[in-house]
Amino acid sequence: MSRYAVNSLLYRLKKDREFRARFSTDPRAVLADADLTEAERAAFLARDMRRINELGGYLHLVLSIPGLAVH
Amino acid sequence: MGKIVFAGAMSHVLDPDYYDAACGPVGRRKVEDVMEAIRQMGARLAARSPDALIVVADDHLNAFSFNAVPALCVRIGTTVSRMVQEDAEAFDKVLEDMPLTYPLHEALANQILEQGLASGFDLALSWEAPLDHAFLSPVNTLCGARPIPPLVPIWVNCFVAPQPTARRCFDFGRHIARVVAGSPWNVGIIATGGLSHFPELLVARVGESDTVFDRKILHWLEHGEHEPLCRLSADELHKSGEHEFLNWMVLIGALTPARADIRYFGELGRINLAAVEWRVE
Repeated sequence: MSRYAVNSLLYRLKKDREFRARFSTDPRAVLADADLTEAERAAFLARDMRRINELGGYLHLVLSIPGLAVH
Repeated sequence: MGKIVFAGAMSHVLDPDYYDAACGPVGRRKVEDVMEAIRQMGARLAARSPDALIVVADDHLNAFSFNAVPALCVRIGTTVSRMVQEDAEAFDKVLEDMPLTYPLHEALANQILEQGLASGFDLALSWEAPLDHAFLSPVNTLCGARPIPPLVPIWVNCFVAPQPTARRCFDFGRHIARVVAGSPWNVGIIATGGLSHFPELLVARVGESDTVFDRKILHWLEHGEHEPLCRLSADELHKSGEHEFLNWMVLIGALTPARADIRYFGELGRINLAAVEWRVE
């Protein structure tokens, strides 16, 4: 379940500019209802894409989210 | 009776600026070299005046979302659009200078789909999925300023486990060969991606490639030894960063037992770049 939640969140961050902007402004609010483990939530709040990848986030998403991509 | 008149496989991030940023000047030089080899392959493709160009490639979670991830999917319809990504990063940026729409070979795509379903391949279909760099970088590099033949895009799920097996992809390629043989068309086919990169799909391993594995694969291709390729397991492909070789397996099935010529192979650390062409005549 968490794996799906992580990746659907990554996908939306890549494809939805308005959602990405809200995440950038207030990530805690955006993540409030997300079905994430504490480790996953912490990684998103830290914008730690390497950690998100270790937790199951697909590589090609973490490499390509505008403004958040790890290289 | 139809015929496969051209077959080639190649890496698909064909962007000197991307590799310059990722790997420095050597990255730019090597990708320019592989692109030149692909352009020369494109001249041979054009000389054979194909009625259609089948392109076997993978999705990078661009065309498909988590709402559905097809194992094998045939794009049908009359035209296809390129993906548009706002504020594109990395390999998505290369799309920005490419044409927005491309013609499809609707009749060939429908035959691959319909005859596939009739013969045991439970293929997905799409009328709307756009194409990302995996399709359009090779197509535009091959064709350059020449007209692009009507395309038949086919997706293989290379990244979202569980993927189709190497043997299943090979068998699907054999199906494509049967459809082409029973059609009136001369057809080109390309497969894209690879070679080894991003082992285990971990950020921590970006920058690594498995050259020994690549050379083993290329040896088998040169000698037309396809059974060892069919036996490659999902685990082997995952650990060696050869996920996208599943696209190549479809092409190999369509061409077997033809031998291949290596037009370019270059180690780059982040990825090993390759361009390979099969002997079709």
